Amino acid sequence: MTRDCWKQVGALGVAVILVLFSGAAIAEEPAAKSKRLPRAYEGAPPLVPHDVEARKGLCQECHTTGEQGAPITPHPTRTHFCVQCHVGQDLTVKAFPTGRAR
Amino acid sequence: MKVSRREFLKSSVIAGAASALSHELLVPLEAQAQAKAETWQKAPCRFCGVGCGVLVGVSKGRVVAVRGDAESPVNRGLLCIKGYSLPKILYGSDRYTAPLLRKGDRFVQIRWDEALDLAASKFKGAIAKHGPESVAAYFSGQSTIFEGYAINKLMKGGIGSNNLDGNPRLCMASAVAGFYSTFGMDEPMGCYDDLDLTDTFFVWGSNFAEMHPVLYSRMIERKHQDPRATIVSLQTFTNRSSDEPADISVIFKPHTDLAIANAMAHVIVKEGLVNQEFVAKHTVLKKGLENIGFGLKDSDEFGGQSPSWATYKPFADRAQTIGFDDYKAFLEPYTPEYAEQLSGVPAAEIRKIARLFGDPKRKAVSMWTMGFNQHARGTWINNLVYNLHLLTGKISEPGNNPLSLTGQPSACGTTRETGALSHLLPGGLFVANPEHRKRAAEIWKVPFERISPKPGYHTMEMFRGLDRGDIKVIWINTTNPFQTLPHAGRYRKGARKGGERFVIVSEVYPSETARMADLILPSAMWVEKEGMFGNTERRTQHWAKMVDPPGQARDDLWQIVELAKRLGLGELFNYGKGPLQKGLFEEYRQFGLHKGKDLAPYDVYAKVRGGLRWPVVDNQETRWRYREGFDPYVKKGEAVKFYGNADGRAVIWARPYEPPAEAPDQDYPFWLTTGRVLEHWHTGTITRRVPELHRAVPSAPVWLNPDDAKALGIETGHRVRVASRRGEVIAKAEVGGRNTPPRGMVFVPFFDESVLINLVTLDAYDPISKQPDFKKCAVRLVKV
Repeated sequence: MTRDCWKQVGALGVAVILVLFSGAAIAEEPAAKSKRLPRAYEGAPPLVPHDVEARKGLCQECHTTGEQGAPITPHPTRTHFCVQCHVGQDLTVKAFPTGRAR
Repeated sequence: MKVSRREFLKSSVIAGAASALSHELLVPLEAQAQAKAETWQKAPCRFCGVGCGVLVGVSKGRVVAVRGDAESPVNRGLLCIKGYSLPKILYGSDRYTAPLLRKGDRFVQIRWDEALDLAASKFKGAIAKHGPESVAAYFSGQSTIFEGYAINKLMKGGIGSNNLDGNPRLCMASAVAGFYSTFGMDEPMGCYDDLDLTDTFFVWGSNFAEMHPVLYSRMIERKHQDPRATIVSLQTFTNRSSDEPADISVIFKPHTDLAIANAMAHVIVKEGLVNQEFVAKHTVLKKGLENIGFGLKDSDEFGGQSPSWATYKPFADRAQTIGFDDYKAFLEPYTPEYAEQLSGVPAAEIRKIARLFGDPKRKAVSMWTMGFNQHARGTWINNLVYNLHLLTGKISEPGNNPLSLTGQPSACGTTRETGALSHLLPGGLFVANPEHRKRAAEIWKVPFERISPKPGYHTMEMFRGLDRGDIKVIWINTTNPFQTLPHAGRYRKGARKGGERFVIVSEVYPSETARMADLILPSAMWVEKEGMFGNTERRTQHWAKMVDPPGQARDDLWQIVELAKRLGLGELFNYGKGPLQKGLFEEYRQFGLHKGKDLAPYDVYAKVRGGLRWPVVDNQETRWRYREGFDPYVKKGEAVKFYGNADGRAVIWARPYEPPAEAPDQDYPFWLTTGRVLEHWHTGTITRRVPELHRAVPSAPVWLNPDDAKALGIETGHRVRVASRRGEVIAKAEVGGRNTPPRGMVFVPFFDESVLINLVTLDAYDPISKQPDFKKCAVRLVKV
C-alpha cells in the first residue's frame, strides 16, 4: 500500500468517525452518561472506561459495591489481578499502523 | 502511592466528568462483533510460554471469538487480555497477502514460484561460492514444532550448515545452559501443579503479573486460599509483581542477584538449614572458570579475540570438583552485609528470606524469567538458584521446585526440544558429539558426513557475520531481530550493506525486519495452519488448521519444504501418503524415545485437550521428574536420580558475583532496563494491530522515579531523550502508574517501533549461553 493510499484511508476514517459521533450524539443524548465501551466480541472481558494506572490497587473500592454506578464484579474472589483482563482505553489514539510506508 | 478512599472517589467524579466531555471528540470504536461462532475447536494461545488452552470460535471461515478452555489444566478457563484478543491479531488491515521483492526503496508483488526460485538460487549461489557456512536461518520460539524440526533437518541434515539459531537465544539460552550445567538435561523437573501445592514463593527479577498473567493469578489464588502462603518478590524496580499481596518485596541493584543468592546460601549453610543427606546422596560440588568476559568483540568469547569466525573457539567451562568445605570457604565472604553493600537490600531482609527458604517446615517454589536469563552471567544465576533448592533438598517433589518460566509459546517445544539452535540436534543431542551426529544421521537417513561437527553461528555472531559479510543469505522467520537485537543500530546497518547479502523475511505484517528485507514471504499464522507448541512445564499441545490465511499467504512449513525441493533436498520431507505433519512428528519422536524425552504419538496429541507433559511413557504424562514414584525413569529404591548426569547427581556450583559489562558513570548516570508490558507481545507487530490493546498502551514510555523526574524537571507526558554510547530514542515520560523504578534507573519496553530502545542497549552477552543482557546498560536523560 502506498503512502497516498494510507492518506485516503486516514481521511475516510475521520469521515466515518464524524458521521458516527454526530449520529451518536443525537440518538443517545440521555444515555451519554453511560461510559461502557463495546466489547470486542461476546464473551470478551469488559474494557475500562477510566484511567486504570492512576487508580492502581483500588478496583474493589467501587466494583464490589457498585459505587457511582460502577459495574459490580461477577467474580469478587479474583482480587489483585483485575488488570490482567480489564484494561484501560485511550480513546484519543489513532489506529495502528498510522500510515508509515512499509 | 496510596490515595485515601475519600480522595479517590472525589478524583473519580472529576475524571468521570472529563471523560464524558472528551467522549464527543473521539473514537474509532468498533461495535461489538455480532457474528456467532458456528464451531469451537481447541488450540493453545500463541502468546507467552504459559500455554493456556483456548477454544476458538469460527464463523464463515473467520475466527470471531475465543474462550478460555475450562478443561485445560493450565488455565482452567481463564485468559489474559492478550489471549482474549487472539481473534483480532489475524485481521489487521495491512496483512501481507503476496510475496514482495525489493526494487530500490519499494517492494513489488511477485508470484510464489518466482519468490521461491529466487530464494533457492540465492542459497545455491552462496553455498557454491562460499560454502554452506555462508547461509543462515533465524527462526523462533513462536515457530511450531513441525516448522522447527523441519528447518533443523533442512539446514543441518540437508544443506550441511549448523547456522540455524532462534530468537530463544535472546530469551531462554541461559535457562538452557543452567539446566545442562546443573542437571545435565534441559527443562524443568516440576510443573504448574507446584503453584497449588507449595506455601512459599520466591519470584526473582520477573514481572510475571504482566508477562505470564495466568500463572501469576494462579499464585494469587493459592495465597487467597491459604493465609500461610507467603510470596517473596525480589525485583530491580517496583512493578505489579512486587505490589500487594506480596509479603516481602525487595528492590535490588541490577546484577547483584548473584550476591544475594550466594548470601542466601551463606545463611542456609551457617544456620544449619542444609539437608545433609540430600546433598551427600544426590549432589556434587564444582567450580568453573571466572572473569569470563562479555563477548563484546566479534568472535571473541574468552581468552583473546579470534581473527575470524574460522578460528572462533566457543567458550568451554573448565569444571573442577570441590568438597563441601571448599564450598563453605567460597561462601564465607558472601555475608548478608556484603550482599547489602552490593545490592542495597538490608542484610536483615536477606537473612529473613534465606530462613524462609531454608525452613524445613516450608516448601519452596522459585520462579524467574528474563531478569535471570538476559544477564551477562545468566547461566551462573540460574545455577545459583538451583543451589538453594539442592542445598535444602527442596526439589523434584510436589510443591518444592525451581521453575524457569518461558517467554514464548514454544521456546521449549520447538527451539529447545527439536534442537533448532546452532549447537543442538533434536532430542537434546549436540552437533559436536560424533555419537549424537551418528544417531541424527541414521534417523534422518542422510550421510553421517553431511552434519557438521562445528557449532554454527549463535544469534549475536550470526548478525555480526551478516554485518561483516561472512553471511551472504539469511532467512528470518516469525521474529523481528532488527527491533529486538541489542545494539540494533549496528545490525540494522549491516543488513543493508549490500554486496552479496540477501535477506529473506517470512512475516505476517510490516515490521522493522520486513522493512530491511530483500524478499518478503507472506505467512499464515496460528490457527490458519496446523501446529504444535510445547510450554514451560514440558506440555506438548496440538491444534488443527481452522481457517484459511488471507490472499496468497502460506504456512511456514510449506515454505520450508518448497525451498528444500528447489535445493534438490525434497526427499528429506517425503513421508509418503499421510499428512506431512504426522510424518515429521513420528520421525521426530524417535529422537526422544527411551531417552527421557518420550513424546506420545501424533494421533494422541491431536485428540487430547490440554496436551501432555513429557516424558509420556505408557500413555502416562510425568509431572515431577527425577523422583521415584513420579518419574518412570527413576527405579524403585533410587528415591532421587538426576539422570541427565552420568553419576545421577546434580551440581552445586560455586559461582561468584562479578560486576556487569557496563554500569552508570558520570556521563551516563542512569541504569536502563528493558522489557515488556502485559498488553503487547514482544515487538507489537501483531498486538498493536488489535485496537483494544493498542489503545491500552499506545506507545512505549520511559518510566522514571518521581524524585529523578523532579530533579530533571520532567513530568508525565514530557518527551525525554534516552541516550547511551550506542544510540538514542525519544520517549514520553511516565512517572507513576504500574512501574516505579528506584532512583537512578529507567525502564523502557521494547514493543514500540517508534521508540527503538534496542538502538540504546548493549550487546554484551553471557559467554556460556551466548544470551545478551537487555537488562542493564548506562544512559543519560535529557528533556527534549
